[in-house]
Amino acid sequence: MVAHILKLKLLLLANGFKRSTGQLIGVIIGGLYALGMIVMLTLAAWFLAGETAIDAELSILIGSLAVLGWAIIPPLLTGVDLTLEPSRFVHFGIPQKVLGPALVLSGFISVPAILTIIGLVGGSLIWRLEPLVLPVAVVAAIATAVMAVLVCQYLTIMATALRAKRRFRELTFAVLFLLLICLGPIISSIASAANSLLDWVGPIASVLAYTPLGAAAALPGALAQGDYLQFAICLILAVAYLGGLYWLVNRATAQATVTPPPQQRAAKQSGLGFFKYTPGTPTGAVIARALTYWLKDPRYAIGVLMVPVLPLLFWFTGSQSGNYTMMYLLGPLIGVLLGFSISADISYDNTAFALHVLTGVSGRADRAGRALACFALSIIPVLAAAILPGAIAGEAWRIPGDLGLSLAALLVALGVASVASARYTYAVPLPGDNPMKAPPGNGLRVAVTQLATIGTMAILLIPVFIPYLMGWFQESQPLGLLTLGIGLVLGVGLLFGGIALGGKWYEQRTPELMQAVMLNK
Amino acid sequence: MTQIALDIRGLAKQFGPKVAVDNVSLQVPAGSFYGLVGPNGAGKTTMLSMATGLLRPDSGQALANGVDIWADPQAAKATLGVLADGVRQFDRLTGRQLVSYSGLLRGMDRAEVAERTEDLLRVMDLTGDGDKLVVDYSAGMTKKISLATAMIHSPKLLVLDEPFEAVDPVSAANIRDILNDYVEFGGTVIVSSHVMDLVQRMCTHVAVIAGGVLKAQGSVEQVRGGMSLEDRFVDLVGGRANNEGLSWLRTSSN
Repeated sequence: MVAHILKLKLLLLANGFKRSTGQLIGVIIGGLYALGMIVMLTLAAWFLAGETAIDAELSILIGSLAVLGWAIIPPLLTGVDLTLEPSRFVHFGIPQKVLGPALVLSGFISVPAILTIIGLVGGSLIWRLEPLVLPVAVVAAIATAVMAVLVCQYLTIMATALRAKRRFRELTFAVLFLLLICLGPIISSIASAANSLLDWVGPIASVLAYTPLGAAAALPGALAQGDYLQFAICLILAVAYLGGLYWLVNRATAQATVTPPPQQRAAKQSGLGFFKYTPGTPTGAVIARALTYWLKDPRYAIGVLMVPVLPLLFWFTGSQSGNYTMMYLLGPLIGVLLGFSISADISYDNTAFALHVLTGVSGRADRAGRALACFALSIIPVLAAAILPGAIAGEAWRIPGDLGLSLAALLVALGVASVASARYTYAVPLPGDNPMKAPPGNGLRVAVTQLATIGTMAILLIPVFIPYLMGWFQESQPLGLLTLGIGLVLGVGLLFGGIALGGKWYEQRTPELMQAVMLNK
Repeated sequence: MTQIALDIRGLAKQFGPKVAVDNVSLQVPAGSFYGLVGPNGAGKTTMLSMATGLLRPDSGQALANGVDIWADPQAAKATLGVLADGVRQFDRLTGRQLVSYSGLLRGMDRAEVAERTEDLLRVMDLTGDGDKLVVDYSAGMTKKISLATAMIHSPKLLVLDEPFEAVDPVSAANIRDILNDYVEFGGTVIVSSHVMDLVQRMCTHVAVIAGGVLKAQGSVEQVRGGMSLEDRFVDLVGGRANNEGLSWLRTSSN
């Protein structure tokens, strides 16, 4: 039976590759990249052997990082291949004694797991000069990899149970996304304190050695230093952690096979929400619907999150170098990004777009509604991002120019996106899916479309750029006012033009758009 | 001369090598309750998608209330209410918002939309759930709210693809009453279904489609010709397996 389940997992892995060539190519490129990293790690370990005094600490840190990575990334971020989720076996009546070990073992049949094992074993070459320690190091590396996979399995089962609650799911992604964005500044501030980093390695590693993260990885170091007490403690701990985790995973699978999916508490909203405040026309209805989605759909929420995060990021970078010029880019950048975000609007609708098709809403109303909803949400952040940097720096002369470029960027982006999204759809995460999950196989297409769209925006903005830059260099307010004038005229004109042209294309291609969203491509 | 509510003229669609709908012509008289039956994969949904503007046909025409849906889609869709099968709804809206949205998209007056939305929620037995997000609805409730979005503009012709799937018997009976009323006062309904019994009881006319080809059409009496509709359907479509079946599936043989 265990063999059957392992074979099932192997088959699933192989079929996953067969499904699309694009995905296979992606996996191969990713695999080559990971292999490259492993080779580097192995080489580094090989050459570091006997060259460094902190080999024990390095082993612990590498092992702990691997376990930590497995604990965080798959369960919370990328999601795991849930084809062998325990609850799928509910109907088969497989005895728990068989199912538990089988599912645990099947966790090792995946590309990342195999790469992790190879990588950690490669890393253990740091002990190659000590023939007695090396075998222990290899065993410890494998034990660390097993620990990583077990931790991941356990947390995945727990996270799946929690994630079934929609609110929780949406919240985690928002929080994680913020963390990810802030990771750069955090790491750079740690790196800037690199001098003191070496002082930290010792204490951190000695603490990690007693945790599930580093207990196994601490074994070779303790042995090499002849610290047999430490070796014994870590050995006992590692065995206990592994045994305990195995027991926990087993118990969790057993529970998952008898627990029905949890009931969700339905979300409520009394009344009509935005529909009450927008005009009672088709355009107004589309505005209200789009606004509701901007606030309720996590796929849009990620776009909105960029707004507070970008200034933080720029400010942080500025404080490192002492040069805050980048802050002046915020207005135009936020304008372009927010305006551009409606270019995937129809793709996000997925087949719910059928309602627009069946009601025969005019292309102009569809385009205008989506663009105006985005405008209503964007205008205040864009105004703030355009005005505040100049005001804070006490350079009032530049505010009109910043305003002109920022507003033009927003309006032109909305106009171009209104045209582009009536013609080009692409695969996006489905409604209710993990918004971070990129659907496989259309990377190139998306990149080309987005590049072309952003390129078009840049070209259309040239008439605003010229007076803007001239005004900046000459520190001239009149030129700034000229920028503002040109920006507004050009922006409003292009937005209306975009809505009209996009509406025309939309009406010609409605059924084709419908077919495209049905296939999510 | 009777009016034709939906006039399908030689619709055809091919997906790659597979002919999904092969030159089907079909007249749905105004005021009829028209059943469209066929086995799984017969092309019912494809044909209805082409007749309602969701899928562009390779050839042929579809006239809804006399207006060609591919020549003048907006005018044709104004008198047409459609429940499409296998499409999502804007499910981050509440039920009440979704029905209102459908009315407002059609350019209806806001006060009228509000009034009809409440009426529709009431007859669909969804008043208590009007403030819940559609994403939290059960399959049957989603079907009912979708039906409400198709009816808010009081269309002359309702095209319903699998309207009773997953709907509980009480709601189904309520929906049937609504549809019967609607037909009685001059509306036309087309439903696709697998449930022959339901079609035989409910419909005045029926068309049988299999393998993308129209096998029969006419009044229910004409089509079934004295047999039960189910037997007649199996006759027309063929493919009834011989009754050897699965001998090992007899629990008594153990």
